[in-house]
Amino acid sequence: MLEVSGLSVDYLLDRGNVRAVDDVSFTVGRGEFLGIVGESGCGKSTLLFAVAQLLAPPAEVAAGTVTFDGVNLVGLTDKQLSVMRWRDMSVVMQSAMNALNPVKTIGAQFKDAMRAHGKFTAEEIAVRSADVLKMVGIDPVHLGSYPHQLSGGMRQRSMIAMAMLFTPDLVIMDEPTSALDVVAQRSLMVQIKELQLAFGFAVIFVTHDMSLISHFSDRLMVMYAGQVDELGATKTVFDRPLHPYTQGLLEAFPSIRGPRVPLKGIPGNPPDLSRVPSGCRFRPRCPYAIDKCAEVAPDLYPLDGTLVRCLRREDGSLAS
Amino acid sequence: MAMPVSGVPTETPAAQAPELGSGRALGRIGRAVRLNRKATIGAVLLGIFILIALFPGVIAHDSPTQDAYPAQLGVSTAHLLGTNHYGQDLFAQLVYGTRNVLLIAFVVGLATTTIAVLIGVAAAYLGGLTDSSLNVVTDVLLVIPLFPLLIVIAAYAHGGTTLVLIAAITLTSWSYTARQLRSQALTLRRRDFLEAARVRGERPAYIILVELIPTMTSLLVASFLTNALYAVLFASSLQFIGLGDPNTVSWGTTLYWAQNNAALQTGEPLWAIAPGFLIATLGAAFALLNYAFDEIGNPALRPVRRSKRARRTDA
Amino acid sequence: MTDELPRTELLRTESLSRHFKIGSALSRRTLHAVDDVSFAIGEREIVALAGESGSGKSTIARVLARIYKPTSGEVFFEGKPLSSMTSRQERLRYSGLVPMVFQDPFSSINPVFRVQHGVLRCLKLHRPSLSAAQRLEEAARVFDIVGLSPDMLQRFPYELSGGQRQRVGFAQALAMRPRLILADEPVSMLDVSIRIGLLNLMAKLRGEQGVSILYITHDIASARYVADRLIVMYAGQIAETGPIEDVLTHPRHPYTQLLLSAVPDPRAPLSVAAETDRGEPPRVIDPTPGCRFRWRCPLAIDRCAQVTPELAELRPAHSAACHVAQTSSDEVKAFT
Repeated sequence: MLEVSGLSVDYLLDRGNVRAVDDVSFTVGRGEFLGIVGESGCGKSTLLFAVAQLLAPPAEVAAGTVTFDGVNLVGLTDKQLSVMRWRDMSVVMQSAMNALNPVKTIGAQFKDAMRAHGKFTAEEIAVRSADVLKMVGIDPVHLGSYPHQLSGGMRQRSMIAMAMLFTPDLVIMDEPTSALDVVAQRSLMVQIKELQLAFGFAVIFVTHDMSLISHFSDRLMVMYAGQVDELGATKTVFDRPLHPYTQGLLEAFPSIRGPRVPLKGIPGNPPDLSRVPSGCRFRPRCPYAIDKCAEVAPDLYPLDGTLVRCLRREDGSLAS
Repeated sequence: MAMPVSGVPTETPAAQAPELGSGRALGRIGRAVRLNRKATIGAVLLGIFILIALFPGVIAHDSPTQDAYPAQLGVSTAHLLGTNHYGQDLFAQLVYGTRNVLLIAFVVGLATTTIAVLIGVAAAYLGGLTDSSLNVVTDVLLVIPLFPLLIVIAAYAHGGTTLVLIAAITLTSWSYTARQLRSQALTLRRRDFLEAARVRGERPAYIILVELIPTMTSLLVASFLTNALYAVLFASSLQFIGLGDPNTVSWGTTLYWAQNNAALQTGEPLWAIAPGFLIATLGAAFALLNYAFDEIGNPALRPVRRSKRARRTDA
Repeated sequence: MTDELPRTELLRTESLSRHFKIGSALSRRTLHAVDDVSFAIGEREIVALAGESGSGKSTIARVLARIYKPTSGEVFFEGKPLSSMTSRQERLRYSGLVPMVFQDPFSSINPVFRVQHGVLRCLKLHRPSLSAAQRLEEAARVFDIVGLSPDMLQRFPYELSGGQRQRVGFAQALAMRPRLILADEPVSMLDVSIRIGLLNLMAKLRGEQGVSILYITHDIASARYVADRLIVMYAGQIAETGPIEDVLTHPRHPYTQLLLSAVPDPRAPLSVAAETDRGEPPRVIDPTPGCRFRWRCPLAIDRCAQVTPELAELRPAHSAACHVAQTSSDEVKAFT
């Protein structure tokens, strides 16, 4: 349904172009839940914006295609995109307080969204708005509430409800749970999964919290420094992480069950994207790096159904 | 840069443009001015005026006040702008007049900004009763119409020497800037590094002067430029209506004398037009420079600089 | 690391409350951010103060840092009440012994100065006997302890990553030779792979420098990694407290159980319980007596609506404020 191929996004800055997303390719099938995981600066949010065609200057797509239902979205005008926006693909942003208009009621914003994408009577709008709120577990009386009158969790749910107005085929979510506390986070995730199973839409979910997504996504994509480092079935990636970065990430989560062991984390910092290291971008922080890693930049390599970007996995010199 | 939200990791430094980043405030200002075309023009103009004010004798060979020449001469190489009704060389007058205007502009700009900073920022940071009482003073001055007040003060001082003009304009202008700076300081007040300074035991005066005000440099420079601009206009206006000292060599007083002698009607148009043009140009120079500071303060206003590289076509 | 009660007490709060007036002049109401909180922190221990937003944990930190005054109750440091510290000297001394590290690495350092500025100021204020050269030496020394190279002293904040800036925050605290560091969610805004480094640093400060830390967080897993004892806050009150391993393996308060069931752990199967609860901690405005968790608690009984539960010891050194937990002899399970 969605095919991203060779997508690269550049930021055109005074000091030169910085490639925030480098040659990323992946697919999302109908009803599939894809989790995109990475830390700050890895390009996941930029990637999301590029897929949703929401990039604003100085960012622009430098190469690649985003094919949605057979149509390449890159290069389409806003007018051409508006046919498909919100009806077939919708977006849930990171912080509802930034995305919701503080001076309009929830109902008014739903109305705006519906009017922007079709002709509806007031009756139809009212019914649909109440329906989507009920879908996410909010009493429809809150259509008359302002965002500041709702709690953080309820605001995020309203954002999701707004994304569901036309039951799109694909919902893109950019860290929708980060501003919430752990109990609210969990219940929101469960809610999203329930909706997905009920309505059959696909989800692309971007987050920095790997453990959060572990129970909900079908496939997992790990990004680092603008590139995809690992892509495979969630369970497989968790049980048997192939890329040293994925391994490091998984080990950086202290557990509340099981033995208390000292952890190391990943030493160093992500690279400055305007000055990426030669060869493999993760090399300066990789405990398994060899000389060749500084010379050759690895490509994604399929290994037992998972794609991994690591020379030593390719040549088999790194045992699982 | 994403808004810092609890629980969300933020960008690594390389991806951020230094917002208030560099301690090299001057360097940053210099860069902003160079890159913004409007500001560069403004800077160049201002530079020319400063040079004229510093070395008037180099540019104009005549004395501005000496009425040695035949009256009402036209434009010629000897007298670039001709002579006025009294036989004074107009060009020399205007060149020497630059000093007075720039002096007023800079001193008022500096004084106004200083007072506004001290009162506005202190009010914002200290809050409570101090804030309320300082606000009362500020608001009273804000409400009184500026120009009539100026006229009253200048008239009361029996025609202003330059010092009186400077004092009057400063006194009536600082309240606007104080309001502005107070608002800015209010938004900055809650920033953690100020709280951190307080928690480690710094005194309020130290926090305001050393920790808070330096983070407002671009706004302060912008305030300086705005106040300098208004000083030029107000001072010239006061001089024009006769409230300045008519013996001072300044553009406003030149205008005054031009008006007195009905220059436009009696065939000496340059006498009136030239000083007006200079006032407008200097004002424009300050205004143009200010564009650079708008950009520093609000990165969203920066124009997008497009890559000149040919774009690759879709794969 | 020890399960016993702290032997030497450093700081103690007694019935500490902090209320805020909200609303307009016409409808004045009181927000009870912190209500009747009593706990103690000893030497060489890390105490985790955990709770969600609105639980009061940050307010407690600010009361301890003397940013707010208590509405009622008292804080004792080294046996002396904070309210008796009236002279500037006493207050300065306290702020050096109990410094605070802030949450946001991007706004906790002044961007116009080099990063050494804060450390040098701390030294100037709190160790005035040092000469300028000695101050620079000390700054390099504390930077080294927190894992930053001395040449970083000359850098500007924008050149440092989030994790490095937080280390600068710890260095500033260390420069004053503190006894207790108030760390207000020091790792929440850092990437996951960077957090461990800071948590390890905190453990090192406890072990090598002998500093106690009050670690305020909403992330129980990180609390478990580094803390000795845990205090769970809910709606401004303490719900449960005790040695951290014991509280996590035998949670007695239903809220603690709810929190634990909601923590994502990829190695554990998805729990069902947390799916049904979608409430969030309340803002406590003009509260009535009774347990503040009762609306979300599946075990609530009549008494819960009438009497505010108090902390009572249920296991060694481990207390919970829950009527049901206190009256039942078996371990009650509200959320699995």
